[in-house]
Amino acid sequence: MASEIALPQGSAPAIAADAGTPAWRRPWALAAWAALALVAFWAATGTTPTAFVHLWTWLPALLRGLLANIEISVLAMVLGTLAGLLVGALSLSPLRVLRVAARWYVQVFRNAPVLVLVYFTTYVFPFELHLVSWTFPFPDWIKVVLGLALPASANVAEIFRGAIQSIPSAQWEAAQSLAFRRSEIFRLIVLPQCLRRMLPPWMNLYASITMSTALASLVGVHDVVDTAQIASNTVARTDFTILVYFTLLGLFFACCYPIARATRALERRHDRH
Amino acid sequence: MTATDRSSATTAAAHEAPLVALRDVHLRFGANEVLKGIDLEVRRGEAVSIIGPSGSGKSTILRCITGLLRPQRGAIRVGDTQVDALRSEAELIALRKRVGFVFQQYNLFPHLTVLENLVIAPTRVAGRDRAAAQREARALLDKVRLSHKEAAYPGELSGGQQQRVAIARALAMRPELMLFDEVTSALDPETVGEVLTVIRDLVQEGLTCVLVTHEMRFAEEISDQVYFTEAGVIVEHGPAPRIFGQPESERTRAFLRRALGEGARTAPARPAPLPEALPFERLRFAL
Amino acid sequence: MSEALLAQAVAALKTVGLNYAFVLDLGERSAFLRGLGVTLQLCLLTIPASLAAGVLIASALTSGRAWLVQPARAFVEVTRNTPTLVQLYCAFLVLNMLITQHVKLPGGNPLTPFVWVVIVVSLHKGVFHAEALRAGIEAVPRVTLEAARSLGFSQRQLLWRVELPLALRFALPALVNNLVDLVKMTAVASAIAVGDVTYESIMIWTQRDNVLELLLLILVFFGLLTWLVSLVGRWLEERLRMSGYGQ
Repeated sequence: MASEIALPQGSAPAIAADAGTPAWRRPWALAAWAALALVAFWAATGTTPTAFVHLWTWLPALLRGLLANIEISVLAMVLGTLAGLLVGALSLSPLRVLRVAARWYVQVFRNAPVLVLVYFTTYVFPFELHLVSWTFPFPDWIKVVLGLALPASANVAEIFRGAIQSIPSAQWEAAQSLAFRRSEIFRLIVLPQCLRRMLPPWMNLYASITMSTALASLVGVHDVVDTAQIASNTVARTDFTILVYFTLLGLFFACCYPIARATRALERRHDRH
Repeated sequence: MTATDRSSATTAAAHEAPLVALRDVHLRFGANEVLKGIDLEVRRGEAVSIIGPSGSGKSTILRCITGLLRPQRGAIRVGDTQVDALRSEAELIALRKRVGFVFQQYNLFPHLTVLENLVIAPTRVAGRDRAAAQREARALLDKVRLSHKEAAYPGELSGGQQQRVAIARALAMRPELMLFDEVTSALDPETVGEVLTVIRDLVQEGLTCVLVTHEMRFAEEISDQVYFTEAGVIVEHGPAPRIFGQPESERTRAFLRRALGEGARTAPARPAPLPEALPFERLRFAL
Repeated sequence: MSEALLAQAVAALKTVGLNYAFVLDLGERSAFLRGLGVTLQLCLLTIPASLAAGVLIASALTSGRAWLVQPARAFVEVTRNTPTLVQLYCAFLVLNMLITQHVKLPGGNPLTPFVWVVIVVSLHKGVFHAEALRAGIEAVPRVTLEAARSLGFSQRQLLWRVELPLALRFALPALVNNLVDLVKMTAVASAIAVGDVTYESIMIWTQRDNVLELLLLILVFFGLLTWLVSLVGRWLEERLRMSGYGQ
C-alpha cells in the first residue's frame, strides 16, 4: 500500500505533459490558434509576405501530392496486412518447411532497407505488363505500393507472431481441456485477443509506412515531396524554399501525429485490463 | 542479552530522552489525509510494533522517520536531528546513515550479487575501505545464515532469503535504529519464520527497532511498546501485554478479534469472520 | 591473381543470367567498394552518436523540469512523426543553405552532406532510443529506488549505480532493434548524393542497367550489417542478464 505512494522529490516518472490540460489549451492547439490568428491578420490587412502568397498558390498541388502519398500508404497497408497475416499463419504451421520459409521471408524483408526494396520493385519490374493479348501500363506508384507492401507484410507477420505468443499457454490448455479443436481455439479464443493486442503495433506500422511513402519521390512518383521540390525550383526564392520544406514537415506531421495519439490512447486503455 | 537484562536496560533508558519522537504529525497526499496527528515515541533499545488495518498510515509513519516523506505539520526528531526541518540532500543522507530500512519487496539491487549488495552502501555512501566492508558483509551474511549465497544474484534467491539479505544490507551501515515495513507480508508461510528469527535476534541484542507488521503473535512476543493505528490516528498505545491482553478501546478489540480470531497468522486480504457472531461461535474459531 | 578469380565468378554468375561485369572494371569496382566503406563509416558514426543523443533526450524528458521536458517532448513528437527524408532535406537544403549564406568561415561551410546525414539520422534514431530508455527508467521498481535512498545514496549515486544500470537492461532489446533500423536508414544518404553504397550502385546501374544484380549485393551487405548488430546485441543481453528477471 504505502509503497505505491510517489516520492516527492527527484523521482523519475515521465509526466504525460498534457494529462490535465483541456484540449483547446494543449501546445499543438495553441500553435494552431496562433497560426490561424496570423493568417486572419494577413488576409484582413493584405500584408501577406510574398513567400506565403506563393505557398497559397502551390497549396492545391501540394495537397494533391499528399493525396498520392495517402493512397500509396493505404494500399500498401491493405496488401501488406493480408500478405502478412498469411505469412504469420504459415509461421505457425505444423509443417516445418512452411515455418522455415515464413521465417526466411520475414528475416529478408525486415532486414532490407525500405529504400532498396522500393528501388527493387520500381526498376526490376517491367514498365508494362503483358497478359495474353492485353497490355497494362504498370505505373510507378503501384510499384512503390508493392515495394512498401513487402516490408509491411514482414512486419505484420512479426506482429501477428508476437501477439499469438503473448497469449498465455494456460489459455490454450484450458481450451483444450474443454475439448475445443485447434481451429476452434484459434477462431474463438486466441484470435479475438490477438487482434486487440495487434492493433497498437499495427497502427505504429501504418504511421511508419506513411512516412516511408516520401521515398516515392526518389523514383519519380509525383508525390508531395516531389511537388515541393518542383515548387521550390520554380519559384526560386530562398524564403519560399524554407517555407515549403517546413510545410512538408507540417503536412506529414498532421497526417501521422493523430495516428500516434490514437495508438497511445488505445495502448493505455488496453493496459488497464 | 537475557529478557531481564533487556528490561533493566529499557528502564534505564526510560529516564533519558526517546531516540525517536513524533509530535502531532499530519501528512496529506493531495486531498487524501493519511496522517491526522500522530504522536509516537521510541526509546533507545526498545522494540516498537505498529499494528492496524491496511491504509491506516503505518508505512507512512516509517517513511516520515527517515525523511522519505515530508509531513505538512508536526515535529519529528531522531536523536539530535530535527527531521522535519532537514532541507538539503546532505542532511538527509547524514540521517539515513543512522537509520536502517527494510521494505516489503524489491529491496535488493537485482544487477548486483548478494555480497556486492551488502558492500555498495558502506563503500559508496559511508566511504569505508572495501576490504573491511567485505569482511563485515561476510560476518553479517553468516549471522543471517546465508554465507553460501554470497555470489548469487537476488533473482536466484527465495523471498525469505532476499529479505534476510535486505536486513543484512541495512545492518551493514551500522544503524542506531532499524525500521521494518511489513517485511513478511509478501512471503509464503514457510519462509516467514526464518525472517522473524533474524528480527528476534536483533531485538534481543538490544537494537532499537520499529516494526510495521501483521504478525500479531510475533509482535506480542518481542515488542516493548505497541501502537495501534486506524484511519491516520493512534487509537491506543502501551506495553505489549496490555494492548494484546486488555485493550482499552473497542476499536482495538475489534481489530484484534479480526486479526487473531483467524488463527496465529493474518493475511490482510482475507475476509474477516462474522463480527456479530455469538460468543460460542468466537470460541469455536479460537480453538 | 584475384582478378582471375573474379573473372571466373562473373562468368559463373552469367550462366544464371546475372550480369556482374562491372566488378571487372577497375573504376566501377573501386567506386562500389568506396560506397561500402562510406556506408560502414555512416553506421560506425551514427550508432554511438544516436545513443548519446538518446541519453540526452531521455534525461531531458525525465528531468521533471517543465522548461526541459516541454521542448524535448515537442522535438520527440515532431521527429517521430515526420519522414527521415524530409528531415534530411530540411536540414541539408534549408539549414545548410542558411549557414552557407550567413556564416563566413575561411574555407566555406564545413558541414558536408555526409555530416548532415550523420546529424539527422543520429537525432532521428536518438529520439527512438530516448523513448526506449524512458520506458526502461519507468520499469525500475519504485521501491528499489526507495531502498537505495534509504541507504543514504545521493541523487547522483542513485542515478548512476541503480537507476541507469537497471533501466539499460530493461531497454536493451528495444535499443538493439532501433540500431538495426538505424543501419537500414543510412541508405537515405543517397538522396542527397552522399557516396554510400546505394548511391554508387545507382551510378553504376544507370550506366550498365544491372539493377537486380546490384540490389542483390546491397541486400546481402545490409543483411550482414544488421546481422552483426543483432549479434552484438544478443551478446550484450547475455552479459548483462539478471537471473530471475524475465528472460
